[in-house]
This record gives sequence, structure tokens and C-alpha cells, in this order.
Amino acid sequence: MMIGQHISHPPRLHRWAGTAPTPHLPAPANPEATLGFYGSTQSGSLQTPASMVSLRGVSKVFPNGSLIFQDVNLEVRRGEFVFVTGVSGAGKSTLLRLLYGAEQATEGTVIVDQVCLFSSEGRRRPYRIPPRPLAMLRRRLGVVFQDYRLLANRTLAENVAFVLRAQGLSPAEIRRRIGPTLKMVGLTEKRDRFPHELSGGEQQRLSLARAIVNMPVLLLADEPTGNLDPENSLLVLQILERLNSFGVTVIMTSHDPYLVERAGHRVVRMEGGRLYDLR
Amino acid sequence: MQSLSRLLNKIRYLLQETFLGLRRGGWLNWAAVSTLLVLLFLVGIGLELSWGVDATVQSLGGQLEISVYLEPERQGVELQPQVAQLPHVAEVKVITKDQAWRTLLIEMGIQDEAAMETQLGENPLVDALRVKADSTEALGEVAERIRQLEGVDEVYYGDRIVEQLAQIQDMLRLGSLTLTGVLALTAVAVITTTIRLIVMARRREIEVMQLVGATAAWIYLPFILQGCLFGVISAVGAWGLVLGSQQLLQELLEQLIALPFLKVMQAERSQLEFWFLPLMLLGMGVFLGTTSSLIAVRKSAGR
Repeated sequence: MMIGQHISHPPRLHRWAGTAPTPHLPAPANPEATLGFYGSTQSGSLQTPASMVSLRGVSKVFPNGSLIFQDVNLEVRRGEFVFVTGVSGAGKSTLLRLLYGAEQATEGTVIVDQVCLFSSEGRRRPYRIPPRPLAMLRRRLGVVFQDYRLLANRTLAENVAFVLRAQGLSPAEIRRRIGPTLKMVGLTEKRDRFPHELSGGEQQRLSLARAIVNMPVLLLADEPTGNLDPENSLLVLQILERLNSFGVTVIMTSHDPYLVERAGHRVVRMEGGRLYDLR
Repeated sequence: MQSLSRLLNKIRYLLQETFLGLRRGGWLNWAAVSTLLVLLFLVGIGLELSWGVDATVQSLGGQLEISVYLEPERQGVELQPQVAQLPHVAEVKVITKDQAWRTLLIEMGIQDEAAMETQLGENPLVDALRVKADSTEALGEVAERIRQLEGVDEVYYGDRIVEQLAQIQDMLRLGSLTLTGVLALTAVAVITTTIRLIVMARRREIEVMQLVGATAAWIYLPFILQGCLFGVISAVGAWGLVLGSQQLLQELLEQLIALPFLKVMQAERSQLEFWFLPLMLLGMGVFLGTTSSLIAVRKSAGR
């Protein structure tokens, strides 16, 4: 069975709103196709509908030979809020990068929202997600970075609109969505300013707005509070929690123990190339 | 209905982004277009020239004659019907030795015919035939057949002229091929650099686009379109230049061939042939422009 022959659509699960049609994994109804797709003879290799992220036996070795982590297992259910902690360089960012396909695992299986990004289970050459399905998966994800990654020569509104434009939405639809998104992060008045006219906290809120304007099912935030003072960190956390209360799954890395402690969500810790469940 | 509006949306996006790319390119656009334009212009005049030479060679059949000199005792009128029956013979004219003698005398400026005859004795010339073939290619064949007829002493035809023209044709072909090759490489290099610089200037945006799930086609099609546009603009410009320089070309060709008695033919063209050149330039321009921008974005089109 070749990869890519299989695509059938399981019933839509929990979702914010209808986004572009997306290729899904084979429905479990056809076990042979499923097994062929994963190249695995074990049953249960398919992600259960309730999980958003499944990492199984994932290892990552950089091309220069340095081992980032080994045999990491992580299961994140839909609607969960998970903190990933650990010292700098422990591999938190790399973990997130695996989830949005910017980095490929060396071994193991990575499944996000029923889409397999990588699997080396039972096959000689590991399966990597092709560019197009990856793009379609990314439309259902939101990513926030420590360094914001805003477009300096575009206004706030244009920065947010850029995402929807890149996904091919019509100008009318884009206009309709920008207002509520900017309101959600409290930047409505500054919609025609440029990013450099904003404070750090505002810039991070703008990058949040950009991450959520396409109504993602999973938000990946890589040290979103890393450059912010405690008040702004809290503000960002509150926005993330609000999104979470709408049903968005949030995975956030942080090395700020105070913030992690205060939030009271599930915490996993990266240490020495392993992942430990703390809470 | 929805798919139509989605299509329109796509087209609008493409045009906007392509225009943006052009604006960011600035003078680099000019570099790309002018290189391609020079290339296409040279290809254009190269083709025009070689078509001109071809047409001239074609028409030579009507102008070139085969001169057939008979053995002294044979008469031209005897052989005329025989020669006329040969294939590819368009016209046979008999020149008797008396006619030839008179012409010769006139050309030599001798009035006193009687004095000449006493010096040279009787008219030493022989009867001759002037044969025209219906095409240049047939010339050699016709000459060969006539040579084998009985009573024919010698056969001459303008094979040197034909050879010379063939040489010019070969030179033109080789020269324009070499030039086209070198310039095509240059054009590809310049366009690739242009597009790559624009891609680099927009790398941040492209990163964000990739991150939020824009497909590779969506990101890179504007760049491809821009390269394609370079091709179209250059082709139109080059064709204009070729049309504008046609008179000049004609003169150039006449100098090149440098045979005063030979009329250089302006290739007579049908509608179809007239459109062949611009379409070819357009095709070549679009191909080179698109290929170059494909090369430029290929590297960055990973993840």
C-alpha cells in the first residue's frame, strides 16, 4: 500500500470553525490500510480521536550527532493546556518544532490532530509528511515565538491579515475576521500602527493574534513570555487560557517557574533528553 | 459560483503579489528585461537574416543559368528540344555562334568587323545554350544530365555563387546559434539573480507564510509569474526592434552577399509565417523567464 492512497475523511471532531478541507489519516474502519500506512503490525497505532498530540518513542539527533532527546512519549488530549518546562537547550523548542513540522524526528512517531508527520515504526525508510498535507495541517495550528517574528513593514491589521491571505481567503472574509481577533488581544485601537511602534508585550499579543486568526485547534507557544515582564507575561497567559476555555489545545514552553506554578495546568519537564510528567 | 469567486480571488492575489515583486525588484527588473530583450532581438534578426538568405538562394534558380557550349560542328537548335525535355528545366535559349560573335565584338568595342575577321580567321566561337532551372537545388542535377548529352562540349553554371551563399548560410546559423546559447545563459543568470534577490528580501514573509500553511505554489507562483512577465515584455520589445530594423537588415544582407547582379530577396511571407517570429520570440522569452525563476525559487522552496 502506497502512502497517499488512503485518504478518507473521518467525522469532524471538535473544531472551532470549518477551515480548509484537510487530509486525514485513514479511518480505523479499514485496518489494513491503517497498518500499511504506519507500516506497523501493532494495533492501536492510530491516534484516538480524543488526542491532539501523540509522540511515541520519539528521538531527535541533530545532523552533527548531538542527541536532543530520546524515546520521548507524550499524549496531549484535545482541550488540554500543557506546560513544557526545562532549562534552555533541553530541547523544548525542538519538541514544538517537531509538532509543526519545521523539524523531523529521527525515530518514533509524531501524530498531530490525526495527521502523521513522521513515523519510523516498522519501516526501513521513515515516513515524512509531504509538503502539501503539512501546509494543510499548519492551517489548523497556531504558532507563537519568543521573538514575535512580525513583519516590520506592515501594519498590525496587515500582519494579521497576512496569515489569511497566505491561506487564500477572500478580502471580505479577511476583513470580517480581523476585528474580533485584534479585540481578543486588546489591540483594536492600534490596528494601523506598525510593529516597531508597540511595546514588547503588545508585539507578543500581536503575534498571538496572528496565531489565532485562522482559528487553530492547537496553539504552540514557544517561550511566549520569555522577553516579557511579569505583568505582560500574565496578560499573555490569560489570553492563552481564554483560548483554552474555548476548546483550543495549548502547548506552551516556559522556563518561568513562577508562571508555571501560578497557572496550575499540566506540566511536563524536559531533562537530560527525557520527558517527565510533573503534574 | 463559489469556485468562481475563489478563482478570482486567486488571480487577484497573484497579480497583487507579482506587482509587489516588480516594485521590489526596482532596477533589477530592467537588468533582467534588457538582457532578455537583447537576446531575443539578436535571435530575431538572426532568423530574419537567414530567412533572407534562404529566400535569395531559392530565387537564384530563376536567375542562375547553365551555360552549355556545344562541339563546333553541332547546332544549338538541334539540341534545344532534347534539353528542354529534361526534368527541372524551365527555359532553354539558343545562342548561335554568330550572335555570340557579334556580342563579343560589341563588348570589345570593335567596329571594323572585317579587319577582325582577317586577324582571327573565321568566327572561332561555338553554338551555346542558356538553360534555366526551376530551382537552385536542381541546378547541379540538370547540369550533369546536359553534360552527358551527345554533342555537348562543356557545361558551366554558377556553382561558386551557390557555394558562397551556402557558406554565408552556414556562418549565419553557427554564429546565431553560438550567440543565442551564450546570451541565453546570461539571461538565465541575470533573471535567476533578480528573482533570488527578491525572494531573499521577502524571506521573512515567506517564512511566516510557510508557517501558517501557505502552499509552495501559493508562495512561489508570483515569482514564477514575474519571470514569465519578463519574458513577455522582452519578446514584445524585441519584436518591435526587429520590425523597426528591417530596412537596415535588408541593406546588411545585400552587403553580406555582395553580388551586384544578384537581387536580394525580401522573403515573401504568408500570414502564418509573419506570425511565426513574434510567437517564437514570445515562446522563447516565456520559457527562459519561467525557467530562470523556477531555478531561483527551487532552493528556497523546501521547508
